[in-house]
Amino acid sequence: MNSESLYQFSIWTVIALLLAFYGGTYLLTLGLSKKKNDADAFMVSNHRIGFGIGAASMTATWIWAASFYAAATSGYQYGVSGPIHYGLWGALMILFIYPFGKRFRKLAPNAATLGELIHARHGSSSQLILAISNVMGSLISLMVNFTAAGALVSVLSPMSFQAGVIIAGVGVLLYTLWSGFRASVMTDFAQLVALMAIAVVIIPAVFFSMGGPTELVAGLDNLTAEQANFFSSEAILEQGAPFFVAVLAYAIGNQTISQRLFAVNEDHIKPTFLTATVGYGAIVIGLGMIGLMALTLGIEPLNGDMNNLIPQMVSGYLPPIFIALFFILVIGSLSSTADSDLSALSAIMMADVYGKNIARGNPDTHKMLLVGRITMILATVAAIIFASFSLDILVMLVFVGALWGAIVFPVIASCFWSKVTNKAFTTSVVIAMILFCLARFEMLPLAGGFGLMFEVLASIGGGIIIGLMVFGFLGRMAGAVAGVLALIAMLIFATGFLREYTVLLASLTAYGTSTLVCVVMSLASREAPFDFDVIRERVGDYSDHSDEEAGSATDTADDAPQPGIAGQPAAQS
Amino acid sequence: MTALLGFYVLIWPAVTLGVLILICRAVIRDRRQAKKEHREMV
Repeated sequence: MNSESLYQFSIWTVIALLLAFYGGTYLLTLGLSKKKNDADAFMVSNHRIGFGIGAASMTATWIWAASFYAAATSGYQYGVSGPIHYGLWGALMILFIYPFGKRFRKLAPNAATLGELIHARHGSSSQLILAISNVMGSLISLMVNFTAAGALVSVLSPMSFQAGVIIAGVGVLLYTLWSGFRASVMTDFAQLVALMAIAVVIIPAVFFSMGGPTELVAGLDNLTAEQANFFSSEAILEQGAPFFVAVLAYAIGNQTISQRLFAVNEDHIKPTFLTATVGYGAIVIGLGMIGLMALTLGIEPLNGDMNNLIPQMVSGYLPPIFIALFFILVIGSLSSTADSDLSALSAIMMADVYGKNIARGNPDTHKMLLVGRITMILATVAAIIFASFSLDILVMLVFVGALWGAIVFPVIASCFWSKVTNKAFTTSVVIAMILFCLARFEMLPLAGGFGLMFEVLASIGGGIIIGLMVFGFLGRMAGAVAGVLALIAMLIFATGFLREYTVLLASLTAYGTSTLVCVVMSLASREAPFDFDVIRERVGDYSDHSDEEAGSATDTADDAPQPGIAGQPAAQS
Repeated sequence: MTALLGFYVLIWPAVTLGVLILICRAVIRDRRQAKKEHREMV
């Protein structure tokens, strides 16, 4: 669907821009040494990514095309506070996972996926639940990013939507296929530099072209009282709260984050994640301001499609060179996320599926690499097909979101509490999903006793979210106090009220149910407490040490794995 | 009000620029360190 109201590039200009972007990115990966492509490097770059590349990669991965569009939409819908309610919570997803990430890394320094850690802790059933949620999440993300490429190309040129989808899919696959995660992080840096530089220029350019602060203040008359209020309860309840609930779930359920947790040099985890938090927040909130500008100017989104807001503003106020920069900005953001999804998917299939469940801890590292590359090809083809047919993925999204919420407590508790059992993990997630469905699709009446039951479970869910967040930074006691206070507040204010917000109620129910079942079953279990030291022994690495250069400082670390036991748990060797 | 709103909009690209400089400097340091240790940066 092309629009005459937006600036239109010729087909050749768009092809030149895409060729320049993907060609340049591909050339960048040619600098990576091929002999270093062992399975561990392919999945986590041998766990020694530095702070700069790590922070760049984390930021670039977390920013996808939807970040800009959704932040601008939020600014347009909710006014002054809108961009904050999108960008801030998205940024906090990165921040809140890092204290837990440090624990994951300490328990399993050689892991490539969180699933490997859970496998070592519990076994296959818990690990596969996590792996399936990760796979579904990455596939959805891949598809959404390719869809965004198709939409952008079709809106700004006469080229078809499908052509844009295919070019983006092939382009990303081309530069990621050979070196995997190493190519992903290397290109993330270049893509982020371009992305940030363009954002730094475009935001003030649009702002001053539309008339600057004076025009913005004059346009405040176009806002409703809620939109003009920085502390708008509407913005908090409809945009901020659902995002806040998802903060931990997205971070736990997303392999792209855990992959970087396991890849960054252990000493750099904190600065890497702090920098990525600030970087993500600044870019996304900044671009969200363009939505606020459109609102104050009284601009209507073209064809009623909110995704047209930023292209409309750039097209309406800036010369074509800026539209080309915006084009690169979106292509860069979606490609950096898509290559990370491909790397995440390949790592899950290599380590979680092949390494742990097919090769049973004794994998052939060459076969592993083959599994990784085949996964990338199949995932790209599947995402291109799904995106080309514009399939409705709402139900899939709903389930993945619920699954991520349901696994938050069992995953975190499994890494801190020695009483949690495999049965408690698995059963709690299954029951949480069942109750989520009953609430989300209103299979039970959300009134009377059932309504109250769901609200109590949701209150527990709210308490556990707050409790875990505080626990991550301030420790067990502070977390428990915060959790109990949040639970009491929820019980007082949410009962009789939360049932009106089905999506929020169902999401919180998933958290609350899995927590309750996991805790009760773990306490009732007669299994001996788990020895966490075993995890380090059980999670081996997959590097080919014959390729390691002599004299590498990191190779002499205490936890350096023994050659010849690649991927084989020591306890089983 | 005008200055406040102007600041509210422009602070984000300014912070972005700060993070961009920080990351670029860190990558240069990473590169030097990797060279010193005779290994690749990633």
